[in-house]
Amino acid sequence: MSDQYDVTFIEQDERSAKFLVRGITPAFANGIRRAMIADVPTLSVDTVRVIENSSVMFDEQIALRLGLIPLTTPDDYRPEETVTLAIDVEGPATAYSGDLVSSDAKVQPAEEHVPIIDLKEGQRLELEADAELGYGKDHAKHQGGVAVGYRHLQRVELGDERGEFAEDDPEIIRGVIEDAGASETSRAAGDGGELVETASFDNDLGNRYPDRNVSVEDVPNAFVFDVETDGSMSVDDLVLSAVESLRTRADELEDAVQL
Amino acid sequence: MDLRVIENLETELSIEVQGEDHTFMNVLKGALLEVDGVTTATYDMNPEQSGGQTDPVVTLKTDGSIDPLDALEAGAAGVKTKADAFAESFESAA
Repeated sequence: MSDQYDVTFIEQDERSAKFLVRGITPAFANGIRRAMIADVPTLSVDTVRVIENSSVMFDEQIALRLGLIPLTTPDDYRPEETVTLAIDVEGPATAYSGDLVSSDAKVQPAEEHVPIIDLKEGQRLELEADAELGYGKDHAKHQGGVAVGYRHLQRVELGDERGEFAEDDPEIIRGVIEDAGASETSRAAGDGGELVETASFDNDLGNRYPDRNVSVEDVPNAFVFDVETDGSMSVDDLVLSAVESLRTRADELEDAVQL
Repeated sequence: MDLRVIENLETELSIEVQGEDHTFMNVLKGALLEVDGVTTATYDMNPEQSGGQTDPVVTLKTDGSIDPLDALEAGAAGVKTKADAFAESFESAA
Protein backbone atom coordinates (compact mmCIF):
# COMPACT_ATOMS: atom_id res chain seq x y z
CA MET A 1 0.00 0.00 0.00
CA SER A 2 1.38 3.35 -0.91
CA ASP A 3 0.06 5.83 1.61
CA GLN A 4 1.86 8.92 0.52
CA TYR A 5 -0.39 11.91 0.23
CA ASP A 6 0.61 15.21 -1.23
CA VAL A 7 -1.41 18.18 0.00
CA THR A 8 -1.16 21.60 -1.67
CA PHE A 9 -3.20 24.58 -0.56
CA ILE A 10 -4.69 26.69 -3.32
CA GLU A 11 -6.65 29.04 -1.08
CA GLN A 12 -6.45 29.23 2.68
CA ASP A 13 -8.49 31.29 5.09
CA GLU A 14 -9.74 30.77 8.59
CA ARG A 15 -13.20 29.70 7.47
CA SER A 16 -12.72 28.49 3.95
CA ALA A 17 -10.00 26.74 2.04
CA LYS A 18 -9.29 24.95 -1.19
CA PHE A 19 -6.63 22.30 -1.27
CA LEU A 20 -5.40 19.64 -3.63
CA VAL A 21 -4.70 16.12 -2.40
CA ARG A 22 -2.80 13.72 -4.62
CA GLY A 23 -2.65 9.97 -4.13
CA ILE A 24 -6.04 9.66 -2.41
CA THR A 25 -8.61 7.03 -3.36
CA PRO A 26 -12.16 8.16 -4.14
CA ALA A 27 -13.42 6.07 -1.20
CA PHE A 28 -11.16 7.79 1.30
CA ALA A 29 -11.83 11.24 -0.14
CA ASN A 30 -15.56 10.71 0.20
CA GLY A 31 -15.13 9.33 3.70
CA ILE A 32 -13.37 12.52 4.74
CA ARG A 33 -16.01 14.68 3.07
CA ARG A 34 -18.87 12.85 4.76
CA ALA A 35 -17.11 12.89 8.13
CA MET A 36 -16.62 16.67 7.87
CA ILE A 37 -20.35 17.17 7.37
CA ALA A 38 -21.86 14.64 9.75
CA ASP A 39 -19.30 13.41 12.25
CA VAL A 40 -17.52 16.47 13.61
CA PRO A 41 -19.49 17.71 16.61
CA THR A 42 -20.25 21.38 17.21
CA LEU A 43 -22.04 23.30 19.95
CA SER A 44 -25.55 24.55 19.22
CA VAL A 45 -28.43 25.82 21.32
CA ASP A 46 -30.66 22.86 22.12
CA THR A 47 -32.80 23.77 25.15
CA VAL A 48 -34.29 27.18 25.88
CA ARG A 49 -35.78 28.48 29.14
CA VAL A 50 -37.92 31.47 28.31
CA ILE A 51 -38.27 34.12 31.01
CA GLU A 52 -40.11 36.66 28.94
CA ASN A 53 -41.03 36.59 25.29
CA SER A 54 -43.45 39.31 24.28
CA SER A 55 -42.15 39.40 20.71
CA VAL A 56 -44.30 38.46 17.72
CA MET A 57 -42.75 35.02 17.44
CA PHE A 58 -43.61 31.89 19.41
CA ASP A 59 -41.02 30.52 21.85
CA GLU A 60 -40.46 27.54 19.53
CA GLN A 61 -39.62 29.76 16.59
CA ILE A 62 -37.14 31.74 18.66
CA ALA A 63 -35.63 28.47 19.89
CA LEU A 64 -35.14 27.23 16.33
CA ARG A 65 -33.50 30.48 15.31
CA LEU A 66 -31.17 30.32 18.31
CA GLY A 67 -30.23 26.76 17.38
CA LEU A 68 -29.08 27.84 13.95
CA ILE A 69 -26.60 30.43 15.28
CA PRO A 70 -23.10 28.96 14.93
CA LEU A 71 -21.11 28.95 18.18
CA THR A 72 -17.35 28.68 18.42
CA THR A 73 -16.54 25.20 19.64
CA PRO A 74 -13.36 24.63 21.66
CA ASP A 75 -12.01 21.10 21.30
CA ASP A 76 -12.20 20.22 25.02
CA TYR A 77 -15.97 19.72 25.00
CA ARG A 78 -17.36 16.21 25.16
CA PRO A 79 -20.76 15.06 23.82
CA GLU A 80 -23.66 15.94 26.11
CA GLU A 81 -21.72 18.73 27.81
CA THR A 82 -23.62 22.00 27.88
CA VAL A 83 -22.88 25.70 28.10
CA THR A 84 -25.46 28.32 29.01
CA LEU A 85 -26.08 31.51 27.06
CA ALA A 86 -28.36 34.31 28.17
CA ILE A 87 -30.00 37.14 26.27
CA ASP A 88 -32.01 40.14 27.43
CA VAL A 89 -33.11 42.71 24.86
CA GLU A 90 -35.89 45.24 25.19
CA GLY A 91 -37.58 46.96 22.26
CA PRO A 92 -37.50 48.99 20.22
CA ALA A 93 -34.40 47.13 19.03
CA THR A 94 -33.30 44.10 17.09
CA ALA A 95 -31.96 41.19 19.11
CA TYR A 96 -28.75 40.00 17.47
CA SER A 97 -26.66 36.90 18.09
CA GLY A 98 -24.02 39.26 19.48
CA ASP A 99 -26.36 40.08 22.38
CA LEU A 100 -25.98 36.54 23.71
CA VAL A 101 -23.87 36.36 26.87
CA SER A 102 -22.05 33.10 27.28
CA SER A 103 -21.04 31.41 30.53
CA ASP A 104 -17.85 30.19 28.86
CA ALA A 105 -15.65 32.87 27.30
CA LYS A 106 -14.41 30.40 24.70
CA VAL A 107 -17.94 29.71 23.46
CA GLN A 108 -19.24 32.73 21.60
CA PRO A 109 -21.49 33.29 18.60
CA ALA A 110 -19.25 32.88 15.54
CA GLU A 111 -21.16 35.68 13.86
CA GLU A 112 -22.27 38.75 15.82
CA HIS A 113 -24.81 40.09 13.37
CA VAL A 114 -27.32 37.29 12.99
CA PRO A 115 -30.73 38.87 13.66
CA ILE A 116 -32.88 36.82 16.04
CA ILE A 117 -35.96 39.00 16.15
CA ASP A 118 -37.01 42.59 15.61
CA LEU A 119 -38.61 43.96 18.78
CA LYS A 120 -41.06 46.87 18.77
CA GLU A 121 -41.79 49.32 21.57
CA GLY A 122 -42.70 47.47 24.76
CA GLN A 123 -41.66 44.04 23.50
CA ARG A 124 -38.98 42.11 25.27
CA LEU A 125 -36.96 38.94 24.89
CA GLU A 126 -35.30 37.45 27.94
CA LEU A 127 -34.21 33.86 28.08
CA GLU A 128 -31.52 31.35 28.93
CA ALA A 129 -30.36 28.81 26.37
CA ASP A 130 -28.34 25.65 26.85
CA ALA A 131 -26.01 24.76 24.01
CA GLU A 132 -25.11 21.13 23.57
CA LEU A 133 -22.38 19.35 21.67
CA GLY A 134 -24.01 17.32 18.91
CA TYR A 135 -23.42 15.74 15.52
CA GLY A 136 -24.40 16.90 12.06
CA LYS A 137 -26.02 13.56 11.33
CA ASP A 138 -28.55 14.22 14.09
CA HIS A 139 -29.38 17.83 13.27
CA ALA A 140 -28.11 20.24 10.61
CA LYS A 141 -27.49 22.90 13.27
CA HIS A 142 -24.57 20.78 14.47
CA GLN A 143 -22.86 20.72 11.06
CA GLY A 144 -19.42 22.27 11.27
CA GLY A 145 -18.81 22.10 7.53
CA VAL A 146 -21.49 23.95 5.60
CA ALA A 147 -20.11 23.70 2.07
CA VAL A 148 -17.81 20.75 1.71
CA GLY A 149 -17.06 19.10 -1.58
CA TYR A 150 -14.38 17.90 -3.90
CA ARG A 151 -13.71 17.63 -7.60
CA HIS A 152 -11.20 15.85 -9.71
CA LEU A 153 -8.13 17.80 -10.63
CA GLN A 154 -8.32 18.26 -14.41
CA ARG A 155 -5.33 18.14 -16.69
CA VAL A 156 -5.25 20.33 -19.74
CA GLU A 157 -3.09 19.33 -22.68
CA LEU A 158 -2.60 21.52 -25.69
CA GLY A 159 -3.34 20.03 -29.10
CA ASP A 160 -2.99 21.36 -32.61
CA GLU A 161 -3.58 24.83 -33.72
CA ARG A 162 -7.28 25.61 -34.25
CA GLY A 163 -8.39 26.11 -37.80
CA GLU A 164 -9.03 29.68 -38.83
CA PHE A 165 -12.73 29.04 -39.44
CA ALA A 166 -13.31 26.56 -36.59
CA GLU A 167 -16.47 26.87 -34.50
CA ASP A 168 -16.03 29.38 -31.73
CA ASP A 169 -17.77 27.36 -29.01
CA PRO A 170 -16.81 28.00 -25.41
CA GLU A 171 -15.06 25.18 -23.56
CA ILE A 172 -16.47 25.53 -20.07
CA ILE A 173 -14.71 23.79 -17.20
CA ARG A 174 -14.87 24.43 -13.48
CA GLY A 175 -12.57 23.73 -10.59
CA VAL A 176 -8.82 23.65 -10.76
CA ILE A 177 -6.74 22.63 -13.75
CA GLU A 178 -3.25 21.32 -13.99
CA ASP A 179 -2.01 23.22 -16.97
CA ALA A 180 0.46 21.10 -18.86
CA GLY A 181 0.48 23.62 -21.67
CA ALA A 182 1.68 26.51 -19.55
CA SER A 183 5.31 25.74 -20.01
CA GLU A 184 7.01 23.30 -22.33
CA THR A 185 9.74 22.65 -19.78
CA SER A 186 7.37 21.38 -17.09
CA ARG A 187 5.85 19.04 -19.64
CA ALA A 188 9.24 17.75 -20.64
CA ALA A 189 10.15 17.23 -17.00
CA GLY A 190 7.04 15.09 -16.65
CA ASP A 191 5.65 17.00 -13.69
CA GLY A 192 2.09 18.19 -13.58
CA GLY A 193 2.38 21.81 -14.56
CA GLU A 194 0.94 24.92 -13.08
CA LEU A 195 -2.21 24.76 -10.94
CA VAL A 196 -4.73 27.31 -12.17
CA GLU A 197 -8.22 28.04 -10.91
CA THR A 198 -10.70 28.06 -13.76
CA ALA A 199 -12.32 31.20 -12.35
CA SER A 200 -9.17 33.11 -13.31
CA PHE A 201 -10.10 32.73 -17.00
CA ASP A 202 -13.87 32.91 -16.51
CA ASN A 203 -14.24 29.10 -16.62
CA ASP A 204 -13.77 29.12 -20.38
CA LEU A 205 -10.65 27.48 -21.77
CA GLY A 206 -11.37 29.33 -25.01
CA ASN A 207 -10.34 32.52 -23.23
CA ARG A 208 -7.04 31.05 -22.09
CA TYR A 209 -6.11 29.29 -25.33
CA PRO A 210 -8.04 30.99 -28.13
CA ASP A 211 -5.96 29.52 -30.94
CA ARG A 212 -5.34 25.96 -29.79
CA ASN A 213 -7.30 22.76 -29.51
CA VAL A 214 -7.21 21.49 -25.95
CA SER A 215 -7.95 18.17 -24.32
CA VAL A 216 -9.12 17.90 -20.72
CA GLU A 217 -8.98 14.79 -18.61
CA ASP A 218 -9.35 13.96 -14.93
CA VAL A 219 -6.15 13.19 -13.05
CA PRO A 220 -6.60 9.85 -11.27
CA ASN A 221 -6.60 9.97 -7.46
CA ALA A 222 -6.11 13.73 -7.33
CA PHE A 223 -8.94 15.69 -5.75
CA VAL A 224 -9.44 19.35 -5.04
CA PHE A 225 -11.35 19.82 -1.79
CA ASP A 226 -13.37 22.94 -1.22
CA VAL A 227 -14.18 23.32 2.47
CA GLU A 228 -16.16 26.05 4.16
CA THR A 229 -17.05 26.03 7.85
CA ASP A 230 -19.83 27.86 9.70
CA GLY A 231 -17.27 29.54 11.94
CA SER A 232 -17.53 27.12 14.83
CA MET A 233 -13.99 25.97 14.07
CA SER A 234 -11.21 26.60 11.59
CA VAL A 235 -10.92 24.61 8.37
CA ASP A 236 -7.78 22.90 9.68
CA ASP A 237 -9.55 21.75 12.83
CA LEU A 238 -12.53 20.52 10.83
CA VAL A 239 -10.45 18.46 8.41
CA LEU A 240 -8.23 17.02 11.12
CA SER A 241 -11.22 16.17 13.37
CA ALA A 242 -12.91 14.43 10.45
CA VAL A 243 -9.83 12.33 9.76
CA GLU A 244 -9.50 11.63 13.47
CA SER A 245 -13.10 10.41 13.64
CA LEU A 246 -12.40 7.91 10.83
CA ARG A 247 -9.25 6.80 12.61
CA THR A 248 -11.09 6.30 15.90
CA ARG A 249 -13.63 4.07 14.21
CA ALA A 250 -10.92 2.01 12.51
CA ASP A 251 -9.27 1.64 15.89
CA GLU A 252 -12.51 0.46 17.49
CA LEU A 253 -13.03 -2.05 14.71
CA GLU A 254 -9.50 -3.38 15.08
CA ASP A 255 -10.04 -3.83 18.81
CA ALA A 256 -13.40 -5.50 18.28
CA VAL A 257 -11.94 -7.97 15.76
CA GLN A 258 -9.06 -8.88 18.05
CA LEU A 259 -11.40 -9.90 20.86
CA MET B 1 -18.37 -0.76 17.98
CA ASP B 2 -20.27 -4.05 18.17
CA LEU B 3 -19.79 -6.79 15.62
CA ARG B 4 -22.06 -9.71 14.83
CA VAL B 5 -20.62 -12.53 12.77
CA ILE B 6 -23.11 -13.81 10.23
CA GLU B 7 -20.89 -16.24 8.41
CA ASN B 8 -17.30 -17.25 9.06
CA LEU B 9 -15.86 -19.75 6.60
CA GLU B 10 -12.31 -20.57 5.65
CA THR B 11 -12.09 -18.00 2.89
CA GLU B 12 -15.25 -16.01 3.42
CA LEU B 13 -16.59 -13.72 6.13
CA SER B 14 -19.82 -11.81 6.60
CA ILE B 15 -19.99 -9.53 9.58
CA GLU B 16 -22.45 -6.91 10.74
CA VAL B 17 -20.93 -3.67 11.98
CA GLN B 18 -23.45 -2.01 14.26
CA GLY B 19 -23.94 1.72 14.31
CA GLU B 20 -21.85 2.55 11.24
CA ASP B 21 -22.87 4.13 7.96
CA HIS B 22 -21.47 4.70 4.47
CA THR B 23 -18.88 7.15 5.78
CA PHE B 24 -16.78 4.50 7.43
CA MET B 25 -17.90 1.36 5.56
CA ASN B 26 -16.87 2.60 2.14
CA VAL B 27 -13.47 3.68 3.42
CA LEU B 28 -13.07 0.27 5.06
CA LYS B 29 -14.09 -1.51 1.87
CA GLY B 30 -11.54 0.48 -0.08
CA ALA B 31 -8.83 -0.42 2.43
CA LEU B 32 -9.83 -4.11 2.44
CA LEU B 33 -9.38 -4.31 -1.31
CA GLU B 34 -5.79 -3.18 -0.84
CA VAL B 35 -5.01 -6.01 1.61
CA ASP B 36 -2.94 -8.82 0.05
CA GLY B 37 -4.95 -12.02 -0.33
CA VAL B 38 -8.36 -10.35 -0.35
CA THR B 39 -10.13 -11.09 -3.61
CA THR B 40 -13.53 -9.54 -2.92
CA ALA B 41 -14.76 -6.99 -0.42
CA THR B 42 -18.07 -5.23 -0.31
CA TYR B 43 -20.68 -3.97 2.10
CA ASP B 44 -24.43 -3.80 1.99
CA MET B 45 -26.65 -1.39 3.81
CA ASN B 46 -30.37 -0.82 3.61
CA PRO B 47 -32.30 2.39 4.17
CA GLU B 48 -34.10 3.07 7.42
CA GLN B 49 -37.50 2.71 5.74
CA SER B 50 -36.80 -0.85 4.56
CA GLY B 51 -37.55 -2.12 8.05
CA GLY B 52 -35.05 -4.91 7.57
CA GLN B 53 -31.30 -5.18 7.95
CA THR B 54 -30.31 -1.54 8.39
CA ASP B 55 -26.88 -2.02 9.92
CA PRO B 56 -24.15 -2.49 7.31
CA VAL B 57 -22.89 -5.99 6.57
CA VAL B 58 -19.36 -6.27 5.24
CA THR B 59 -18.56 -9.37 3.20
CA LEU B 60 -15.11 -10.39 2.09
CA LYS B 61 -13.52 -13.31 0.32
CA THR B 62 -9.88 -14.27 0.36
CA ASP B 63 -7.72 -16.51 -1.83
CA GLY B 64 -6.88 -18.71 1.16
CA SER B 65 -3.52 -17.14 1.97
CA ILE B 66 -5.00 -15.08 4.81
CA ASP B 67 -7.69 -15.74 7.39
CA PRO B 68 -10.69 -13.49 6.65
CA LEU B 69 -10.75 -12.14 10.21
CA ASP B 70 -7.07 -11.24 9.98
CA ALA B 71 -7.82 -9.56 6.67
CA LEU B 72 -10.53 -7.46 8.32
CA GLU B 73 -8.09 -6.48 11.03
CA ALA B 74 -5.50 -5.58 8.41
CA GLY B 75 -8.15 -3.52 6.62
CA ALA B 76 -8.90 -1.56 9.79
CA ALA B 77 -5.18 -1.05 10.31
CA GLY B 78 -4.99 0.17 6.70
CA VAL B 79 -7.60 2.84 7.42
CA LYS B 80 -5.59 3.97 10.44
CA THR B 81 -2.42 4.20 8.37
CA LYS B 82 -4.24 6.22 5.72
CA ALA B 83 -5.72 8.54 8.35
CA ASP B 84 -2.35 9.11 9.99
CA ALA B 85 -0.62 9.70 6.67
CA PHE B 86 -3.30 12.14 5.58
CA ALA B 87 -3.28 14.07 8.86
CA GLU B 88 0.49 14.33 8.67
CA SER B 89 0.56 15.58 5.07
CA PHE B 90 -2.27 18.00 5.77
CA GLU B 91 -0.62 19.46 8.86
CA SER B 92 2.69 19.96 7.11
CA ALA B 93 0.96 21.72 4.20
CA ALA B 94 -1.33 23.88 6.34
